[in-house]
Amino acid sequence: MPEPSDKDNKKQDAPPKTDEKSRREFLGNAGLTVTAAALSGAGALLSGSDEAEAKATWGEWFQKNYRLMSDDEKKEAVARLEKRYTEEYGKKTVVDSAPAQEGVLFGYALNIQKCIGCRRCVYACVKENNQSRDNPEIQWIRVVKMEKGNFLAENMDKGYPDPAGIQVGGNAYQNSGVVLEGEHYYEPAQVPEKDYFYFPMQCMQCEKPPCVKVCPVRTTYRDPDGIVVIDYNWCIGCRMCIAACPYWARRFNWGEPNLPAEEMNPVTHYLGNRPRMRGVAEKCTFCLQRTRKGRYTACVEVCPVGARKFGNLLDPESEVRKILDKKKVFRLKAELNTYPKFFYFID
Amino acid sequence: MKPLIRFGLDSLMYLARGSTIYYGWLMFLGFLTLLMFLGAYEQFTKGMIVTNYNDQVSWGLYEAQFVFLVGVAAAAVTVVFPSYVYHHKKMKEVVVIGELLAVSAVLMVLIFIMFHMGRPDRLWHLFPVIGIFNWPHSMLTWDVVVLNGYLALNLICAFYYLYMKYLGREVNKLFYMPLVYISIVWALSIHTVTAFLINTMPSRPMWFHSAMPIKFIATAFAAGPSLIILSFLVINKFTKLKIAHEAIETLAQIVAWCLGITIFLVLSEVVTELYPSTEHSFSLQYLIFGKHGLTGLVIWYWSAMVLLLAAFFMLLTPSLRKNHGLWLPLACAFTFVGVWIDKGMGLVVPAFIPSPIGELSEYTPSAIEIVNTIGGWAAGLFIFTLLAKGAIGVLLGEVRYREATDLASEFSSEWQPVVHSSEEISK
Amino acid sequence: MRKTALALLASFTAVLFLAPPLHSEDTYIHYLDNKPEPADCFESRDGYTNVTRTEVEPGLPNVKCSNKTGGVLWWGDPFDGTEPMGDMPIEADYTREEAVVKPRTGQLKYYMPCTACHDGNMVPYPRDKNPRPLAMHQDIVPDSMDLKHGRGAIWCLDCHNPRNRDTFIDHRGGEISLNQPQRLCGKCHGEVYSDWRDGIHGKRIGSWEAGGKKRWWVCTECHNPHTVQVNRFEPIVPEPRPQYPRTRTNADHERGHGAGAGH
Repeated sequence: MPEPSDKDNKKQDAPPKTDEKSRREFLGNAGLTVTAAALSGAGALLSGSDEAEAKATWGEWFQKNYRLMSDDEKKEAVARLEKRYTEEYGKKTVVDSAPAQEGVLFGYALNIQKCIGCRRCVYACVKENNQSRDNPEIQWIRVVKMEKGNFLAENMDKGYPDPAGIQVGGNAYQNSGVVLEGEHYYEPAQVPEKDYFYFPMQCMQCEKPPCVKVCPVRTTYRDPDGIVVIDYNWCIGCRMCIAACPYWARRFNWGEPNLPAEEMNPVTHYLGNRPRMRGVAEKCTFCLQRTRKGRYTACVEVCPVGARKFGNLLDPESEVRKILDKKKVFRLKAELNTYPKFFYFID
Repeated sequence: MKPLIRFGLDSLMYLARGSTIYYGWLMFLGFLTLLMFLGAYEQFTKGMIVTNYNDQVSWGLYEAQFVFLVGVAAAAVTVVFPSYVYHHKKMKEVVVIGELLAVSAVLMVLIFIMFHMGRPDRLWHLFPVIGIFNWPHSMLTWDVVVLNGYLALNLICAFYYLYMKYLGREVNKLFYMPLVYISIVWALSIHTVTAFLINTMPSRPMWFHSAMPIKFIATAFAAGPSLIILSFLVINKFTKLKIAHEAIETLAQIVAWCLGITIFLVLSEVVTELYPSTEHSFSLQYLIFGKHGLTGLVIWYWSAMVLLLAAFFMLLTPSLRKNHGLWLPLACAFTFVGVWIDKGMGLVVPAFIPSPIGELSEYTPSAIEIVNTIGGWAAGLFIFTLLAKGAIGVLLGEVRYREATDLASEFSSEWQPVVHSSEEISK
Repeated sequence: MRKTALALLASFTAVLFLAPPLHSEDTYIHYLDNKPEPADCFESRDGYTNVTRTEVEPGLPNVKCSNKTGGVLWWGDPFDGTEPMGDMPIEADYTREEAVVKPRTGQLKYYMPCTACHDGNMVPYPRDKNPRPLAMHQDIVPDSMDLKHGRGAIWCLDCHNPRNRDTFIDHRGGEISLNQPQRLCGKCHGEVYSDWRDGIHGKRIGSWEAGGKKRWWVCTECHNPHTVQVNRFEPIVPEPRPQYPRTRTNADHERGHGAGAGH
């Protein structure tokens, strides 16, 4: 287990950036190191009683922001995590650190007409992405059941104010047509139900993500392939991103995540589905541990009606590009100028 | 160096002696603070799962205190501004109390920020140089800058002023006055930036309007001076320091007019949102009337409105406003509580209901949240009590630098500390 | 007096430190704890796209399934049990891709193969394609005179090859494999067929990359051709609801604010 002081003395080939340099100077300062060590000891104490875990936590505590790490530091961080997860979950765990592929910009399209509201995407995502299963239960996809709404004949000559002429029609007092309010906790015997449609939502991987802008420590940022990622080890848990997201895509580890070992997916990515710790934000990453290796996302694969489509926006022959060419698409809350790369379409 | 050490020792000696009420008050606050340590231990070891926060309502009681207390801190300017810009003599005599209130309020803000954070152990990530400070992009970093700057400014101003008073010297205006003027502007900035922190998020339509900063300032300059008036009244009642009626009257008028502006802004917001009744007004509808049977905040909202209106009319009536025995403190308490509701839970929570994708939910704080919140306030009042008592000692001349004396002679001297309980804000 | 005080103190402490019960009936964790993961799962169409859960290599299951519904949620090996798609004419740049399908014949209830009975002797070849009441297969087509596909314009033998029941029939009387229903369906549903070839309609799993290996889902893996007029997709049991927010014990407020519910 590398001690912080080892790390500090390590020589690097690449010329260090200002931040890295000053940080090393900071850690080199003995007095401050003692202070920091005391603090981190407390941190380790607070986050787990297990010694191995505490040791790993110790090392993780001194990590810098993932994007600013040198390749060596990334390797070190990844190795530390692999060791910890392997011990913790009792299975050989891989923590990938693959960068974005060149020439790839990920895009997503969802056929809103096809979705039947079965929520299988929600749990495909859960099986893949190592979310906390209970207390808190974390799910990155939310499917909302929407009423198609109707106009009632008996309301035709009703309204307000009545005697002097109708200003507001009688149908205005119910959901005549679709409104944004829907049912989130629907549990019918079978789906799809008549008179309803379903609207799945998840992280839109905005080109102009509000969550990234408000983050005070830049723990969340956009990678070149368009995925908005989070360095879970750098997140301070201020939840500005959660408040700022117009799509309610972000979730928070309110407590220590509960992930049973048998449920844990050992194929992980540092910025993706590796097990999280308490007090940090998380969200959909388009399964980057899979997609950066060429595989479809878990939700695309599971959708029993094929409503979910995924691919490279820079490739004119990709499925998403063909959809953008052939179909009518819209983006959710387009007026906010967040430029989502998650498109909704109908046949 | 020696006078400085003596200042510290003298102050400590002075703080250590007091009446039964003083000790009782401090012990009461200390007990509540201890309870907070218990709650803090729970929260920091188990995580925020011990609160009732959830993904739907991810800000709650702590952030409500945060927003409100930033306003209280900013309100020190209502004492500083008349003193140094309008040369309000009577106010100038006690300006330091206002500054110390600001210091205490900012410290409380820091306590609530710690409770707000999911990973307080990683606070250092936010420090420039060793961490990453996403400035100027992140509004939160602006808030960090202005809050810490404000804390430093007020600490320096208050300490310097008291220290000079202690030494019996005049303040160096070349050093002191620029700081005062900076702190006046800075006070406005802390609350403006806090407003910008939340009203720059279109994801929360209830917050997303440009009246937010001015409403923040108006409510702050209503609630803050109310607290200052209350503490002045307590000081007048329990200590030898007599604060002039003119000073209190000026503050009371500030409260009255800021309340007036607040009520006007509340009305503007309500009409603007509810007349067209778009989906963006759902949060306000939930707050004011309840929505789909969820009515958790309705009673709070209306009681806040009643309190604010009542306080406004009480303060508008000169005979009531000048009645320091009952009506003025009552009006100030109404204002304080009314704003605390309206700008605390009434502002923070409904913005999360419904969620950006339309989910209606409700939030009530957990027991641990309440314990920690009460404890945070108690800790702040504890600090303020000590600071104010020390300041009063200096202002009265009871704590002053005497070169000839040493500690031993002081103990044996005839000098007895005047018994005054600084039971500020016990109401 | 002291007892009361102690009791009060104890209950206060209990309230402080005991987490309130979460309402987790019919949620994911409830099924995880109370219902074992089924060994037989279905992929898209319940009953017609079954898969048996095994391990493709130690520690890696071929599929992970829903404890509640038995639906497949996750593929360890997206190409498990597939075979090359064959001579599908793919009119796109993706011709270089490796496309595989899961054979349909294994999923068909009566496939032994079909010609085991429909050999012209045991069951004689039909004289014409006109609709007539069926004595058999009523579990698949309850009322053969009212086939729920094509609104009377088509009947069994417009699709099933009368001379070789192990195949479908193309426009010219040629044979189409049961494993390539898209070639049959595409006879009428040309636009959907075109979307399907582009990957817009239907479903593929495996690699999103241009040139990557994909498993293509074929028509009958999702649609029931004999009832498609009633349900484009046969209703299935939904997966569990999410848990309510910590402070909520129900979601009654969100139900039925539709017609007549007001606000």
